[in-house]
Amino acid sequence: MPDEVTAERVAAIAASARIPLDAAAAERVARTVNPTVTRFFAEKIALPMEIEPASFVVVAREQAER
Amino acid sequence: MTDPANLSLVEVAAAIRERKLSSVEVTRALLARIGRWQPVLNAFVRIEAEEALSAAAAADAALRGGTTLGPLHGVPLAHKDMFYRAGKLSECGSKIRKGWVAPATSAATARLQGAGAVHLGALHMAEFAYGPTGHNEHLGPARNPWNPLRITGGSSSGSGAAVAARLTYAALGSDTGGSIRLPAHFCGVTGLKPTYGRISRADTMPLSFTLDTVGALARSAEDCALIGSIIAGADRLDPTTQGAPEWNMAATRRPVKDITVGVPRAYYVDDLEADVAKALDEAVATFRKFGARVVSVDLPDQTAVTAAAQIVLGAEATSLHSPWLRTRTGDYGAQVRARLQNGLAYSAVEYVEALRWRGPALAAHLAAIGDVDIIVAPASRAAAPTIEETDVGAGPHADATIQAMTRLMRPANYLGLPVLVVPAGHSGMPIGLQLIGRPFCDETAIALGRAFQTATDYHRRMPELP
Repeated sequence: MPDEVTAERVAAIAASARIPLDAAAAERVARTVNPTVTRFFAEKIALPMEIEPASFVVVAREQAER
Repeated sequence: MTDPANLSLVEVAAAIRERKLSSVEVTRALLARIGRWQPVLNAFVRIEAEEALSAAAAADAALRGGTTLGPLHGVPLAHKDMFYRAGKLSECGSKIRKGWVAPATSAATARLQGAGAVHLGALHMAEFAYGPTGHNEHLGPARNPWNPLRITGGSSSGSGAAVAARLTYAALGSDTGGSIRLPAHFCGVTGLKPTYGRISRADTMPLSFTLDTVGALARSAEDCALIGSIIAGADRLDPTTQGAPEWNMAATRRPVKDITVGVPRAYYVDDLEADVAKALDEAVATFRKFGARVVSVDLPDQTAVTAAAQIVLGAEATSLHSPWLRTRTGDYGAQVRARLQNGLAYSAVEYVEALRWRGPALAAHLAAIGDVDIIVAPASRAAAPTIEETDVGAGPHADATIQAMTRLMRPANYLGLPVLVVPAGHSGMPIGLQLIGRPFCDETAIALGRAFQTATDYHRRMPELP
């Protein structure tokens, strides 16, 4: 599946969030956001399934006890 | 005695406490200065002169009666217009919240009031804190005291301008993607973006709950240490602060010879303007002179961390604003509406993946820096650009300028790291450097900044009224 963010994808997410977004805005959003998404997925992150957002707190708090 | 407006926060608090100055004298001096500067800067959105003078008189009476509320007894302060005060307006730089009266007082404001501070007014900010320049379509731009044609940085635009022009001794700001650090850099003041979870954000306007931090802009590292000592600490209304270490004032005076400073080999030092590169070199030389160990560091790729931060910020900000995006989209300024719409591009899976990566990314960062205490880095590649060239109406060039201006900000938010920005150069406009610490070691960044400010005078320089 291509990493590229398309206007169609943006329009679909907006519709599912029930937020009105015209076609020109969807085009602009896709253009603006595409480098961010592409860069993030170029990192090819493969996290163990045990990692959750709060795992961050554990790493940060270990420093406090250092 | 010198003009009270020129004193630092620590100095004025001591002068009031020792009754060398009254709170009323100090408040009047600031109000007079605000009267002269406000038409130039647009730094305040509300000046609460009568209320401030009345509170100052009460503080003086209490002091005469032998009562001191705390370390900020009688000191007038003003804050970004997103720190709620129960029963008072908090319009968040927006049309949508125009006339909105806050139901509760923010934890940070309450702690400052509990320490005796007097409320002077509310400060300009980017609409809903979602802009890095100081532009605001509803309020007009805030202007930089060093050159009113140039930006203040944002989103704590009024906080940066007002502290720099000596209209307040310190100001609360928020930092989700650079909103304390950019105004500190562009306006030539000291700014503390704390560790995520160190200072309560309760009853403060949110932008991105994963990245939001509350901190201070002030005249020196020592002033930031004082503010930190008052507002940091656990608060039951902000669960991210539970179990965080207590503020350690003694650690803000840690000897520099015990501190290891890391200088990044890449990213933060790429494409710098000559004056910024010079400021960085001179600061490193100063740290060495104080006996700090200085080493080069290879950080993980910061572009990936920045992308993750943008996904998290975009998705969360859009979620928080979704009710108004459905019903009042025309009431946002064009820049902020466009930023909020950008958050519609991310899928739920992408958002959660960016959230889950945060811990591993922090672990990788800590592994890369080894025993380094502080990373020293520029805040931005250049000093303040003009208001005109960063107005998105100016076209694609403005977007490029804004992106270049903000690219050194996001990693510290995503990794939750504390940063102190210190003024470290001047090229006609101020230049600031970031002292980026380890999680919950905000005090070490302050200790290094404090020592740096004993050897330099950039933080003492004051702009002249044009």
